[in-house]
Amino acid sequence: MTAVPAAARRREVDAQVGLVIFLGATAMLFAALLLAYAIVRAQAPAWPPAGAPPFPRGAAAVNTFALVAASIALRRGRPGLALGLGAAFLAAQGLLWQHLVAIHLGPTAGALGEVFFALSVLHAAHVLGGLVALAWAGARRRRLLTLYWDFVLAIWIVVYLAVCVL
Amino acid sequence: MHLVLPRDASLDGHLVDGAIGYLTLTTGVVFALALAFLLAALLFHRARAGRTWGQHTHGNRTRDRVLMFTVALVMFVAIDVTLALRATRDLEGRFWRYPDADPAALRVEVTARQWAWTFRTAGPDGRFGTPDDVVTLNELDVPVGRPVYLKLRSRDVVHSLYLPSFRIKIDAIPGMTTRAWFQATEKGRSEIGCAQHCGVNHYKMRGLLVARDGADYRDWLARAETDSRLRYDPAGPTAIGGWDWETGQ
Amino acid sequence: MSERQVASIDEEIEPAPTGFLRRYVFSHDHKVIGRQFLFLGLGFLAVGGLMAMLIRWQLARPGAPVPVVGKLLFGPSGGVISPVAYTALFTMHGTIMIFFAVTPILIGGFGNFCLPLLIGARDMAFPRLNMASFWTMFAATAVLTASFFVPLGPPEAGWTAYATLSTAIGAPGPGQTLWVVAIYLNGASSVMGAVNYITTVLRLRAPGMTYTRMPLTVWGFFLTSILNALFVPVLAAAMVLLLFDRLLGTQFFIAGSTPGAGGDPILYQHLFWLFGHPEVYILILPAWGIVGDLLSFFARKPAFGYRVTVGALCGVVLLSTVVYGHHMFTTGMSPLLGESFMLLTMIISVPTALIVLSWLGTLWRGAIRFPTPMLFCLGLVFTFGVGGLTGLYLADITADLYLHDTYFVVGHFHLIMAAALLMSLFAATYFWFPKMFGRMMSEGLGKLHFWLTFVPLNLVFFGMLAIGYEGMERRLYDPSVFDFLKPLLPLNRAISHAAYLLGAAQLVFVLNFFWSLARGPRAAANPWQVGTLEWSVASPPPHHNFDRIPIVVRGPHELGHPAARPLGRDWLSQTELVDETPPAAAPSPETA
Repeated sequence: MTAVPAAARRREVDAQVGLVIFLGATAMLFAALLLAYAIVRAQAPAWPPAGAPPFPRGAAAVNTFALVAASIALRRGRPGLALGLGAAFLAAQGLLWQHLVAIHLGPTAGALGEVFFALSVLHAAHVLGGLVALAWAGARRRRLLTLYWDFVLAIWIVVYLAVCVL
Repeated sequence: MHLVLPRDASLDGHLVDGAIGYLTLTTGVVFALALAFLLAALLFHRARAGRTWGQHTHGNRTRDRVLMFTVALVMFVAIDVTLALRATRDLEGRFWRYPDADPAALRVEVTARQWAWTFRTAGPDGRFGTPDDVVTLNELDVPVGRPVYLKLRSRDVVHSLYLPSFRIKIDAIPGMTTRAWFQATEKGRSEIGCAQHCGVNHYKMRGLLVARDGADYRDWLARAETDSRLRYDPAGPTAIGGWDWETGQ
Repeated sequence: MSERQVASIDEEIEPAPTGFLRRYVFSHDHKVIGRQFLFLGLGFLAVGGLMAMLIRWQLARPGAPVPVVGKLLFGPSGGVISPVAYTALFTMHGTIMIFFAVTPILIGGFGNFCLPLLIGARDMAFPRLNMASFWTMFAATAVLTASFFVPLGPPEAGWTAYATLSTAIGAPGPGQTLWVVAIYLNGASSVMGAVNYITTVLRLRAPGMTYTRMPLTVWGFFLTSILNALFVPVLAAAMVLLLFDRLLGTQFFIAGSTPGAGGDPILYQHLFWLFGHPEVYILILPAWGIVGDLLSFFARKPAFGYRVTVGALCGVVLLSTVVYGHHMFTTGMSPLLGESFMLLTMIISVPTALIVLSWLGTLWRGAIRFPTPMLFCLGLVFTFGVGGLTGLYLADITADLYLHDTYFVVGHFHLIMAAALLMSLFAATYFWFPKMFGRMMSEGLGKLHFWLTFVPLNLVFFGMLAIGYEGMERRLYDPSVFDFLKPLLPLNRAISHAAYLLGAAQLVFVLNFFWSLARGPRAAANPWQVGTLEWSVASPPPHHNFDRIPIVVRGPHELGHPAARPLGRDWLSQTELVDETPPAAAPSPETA
């Protein structure tokens, strides 16, 4: 089947529109989780919760760089590198979770731990989805994937600021 | 067949019944008018010899829109606005005006669990956590003519205390304390139910509310208090059911 | 009126797929996928309906063994429905009806089949995503079915699955976990569909199909998809947190006597109803759209107040996001919050009233015909009218203090959900069956089906309003435990008898459906004589829908149009070029 060039252009814009809607839906998912976080935090007698160890902000911040680098790599036309960096982010998150459990900030260790865990696990799931998309269509759909990875990065920054900094 | 609400044994239940009555009247009128219009349209404007073409109007002239909005707004004002004002008055004036400062109010701690209700009152000394606290299982005894102030907690899942004869429904939620109040106007027995699905035996969470006259209530309290003293455990005053009303612990 | 020209893309037509799998199983064709959703949904509608019959059996004859199938289904308890089985029944009845019957039938089925045809497109914007959406839904049904066969059995926390009953505290077995996963998958399918439908409406409308020339059915699916895209993810958040509580030991919702449990069960309710209230509008919006169009078609005049209707639909969509607290009036929320929710809920009655008024306006001065689809539309107008009015009782906090969690609520939402939605899905089926399957359904059986459904249905749910008024709580295995409910047994029994009749009546539909599928008279392209685009192609349409993408020149409801008179009919299609200068005389109903 040969498509008229205008049709191919139309399909690309369709895909962008579709992706924007999907990102809107995903944003609502994280908005709901952040709302849950806000309610948990508002109802807690103290924040950070009494007895909770300080959150390892530095370690979490380092992971951010992997994600930023992935977005940049994608913009520069290096989907393979972006894939590697995205995978590195996931690996680093895994190490972070292990560390958090060890210092009693894991999912079963109180409000701060469970909130960060829920948000970061859902985020990681979307990073994983992004990796799959990169592997499948990395070279062809650069514009779409860039949008997606920028979004994933933005979510992470929001989560990081909301939970780890503020 | 006659539709009746449960017997109203309460001071403020008539406000609920009044709201329901007003709703039935107004929605009934709206429904009757709309149905009449609908049936008229179906009857008079059905296709038949002499009527095979519909009127070609889009209903978008100004007068069409004015008509629609007027009807909708009249309904809104007559039903919704009126009810909202009444409800606000009733809630803020009665149902949600809790008798915290009323010394005559009987304070009752209600603990809901799968699948029973325990009620604890402070007993003659008026303080919770003392040997004369009265704890009852699935039975709430109250004096007629005095406000009864309930605070509720749950041990496990969400339950909901339902007093049909007092038109009261209030959830009992684990991890927090909810509250409600009512006043009995006549002596007698009515039932207590659970109005939030709480598991397999939700349907069996039945209690009895016994409203007693002054002397009758005092007699009952004396007997109940004697019973409670036998069961009181100084090491665990909240073990059976209840918490310190003042401190919340 | 300005005309926004959507880019006219007349692509080379793809060859139709060959092979059984590509054509009927793993098809990208929205028409096939729509039929797949339809059959899946109808199957689960039957399952959910049978569950309702069992529930009614228990309420009519508490503790009596179920005839015929009792020993098979409830063997361990001697054919009697046990309290455990009863809680599973009402949980799964609600879950199935909402998520696995109405959603796939209306949104997945008719939405998929009709949308591209109605806007003049060859397919959805993302055909493969469409296919994925169906198979995700299918996977969800598999997971849900599995929950019947695990230790400790199916979920028992109601379709609302409130915490902490739905956490390990109240529901220790894997059945509830599987339910959470099934709901999540179902939601994923919905979001995929929403992305597809919204993009399709935004991008694939035929040239000349401006937003104000779209059939109301399209508006219904479009607005529903917007709510789906925005609020199903909120349900996903609630489900994710619940799953974490159940499996990973977090305590988002867990409170009570568990040590250190600092969670909040009410957080679950906020998240759930933030989704849950838009969800009921997600379900009804397609119905409102369909009815708006069909009433026009069968009254043979344009829809009354199209723009006001669209505005009202949008108003409902916006307001639906801020009224959810009316499900939580008894949780002890602050007076200000409660009163705000009450007021906002009441305000929603304004656009809703406008929608109903537009229906009445459409009928007035029509030349109304009464084929089966029209009967079901009128049935919807009636049941939705009553159901909507009963909602006002529940919006008023004072009345809700008594009516909350009674059968009045059950009657209210069933009048809207079961009655109005059932009416709309039958109307849609009878209306689009010729287009979908190329054959006509039997009118005689259809009318019989309508009356045998409409009368018992109203008896059942009006009856529920009555027993709720008298104070009977929901989800009671045996109301006779309560003295004040014992007198309601005769009424409960009457409701059940009407329900059995309602259930049995659906056999007429099943018969009509399958007989017509096999042997119904062949359908013409436009048996209903209306002007929307799907009726300009063959029944059923070819794989590519339109030989040439149509160019739209007028709205979807041009019936009774004087310019059609010379053509020997009373309607103009959306594409035909005709001289529309109005005649000298004012239009009025007269003989053709």
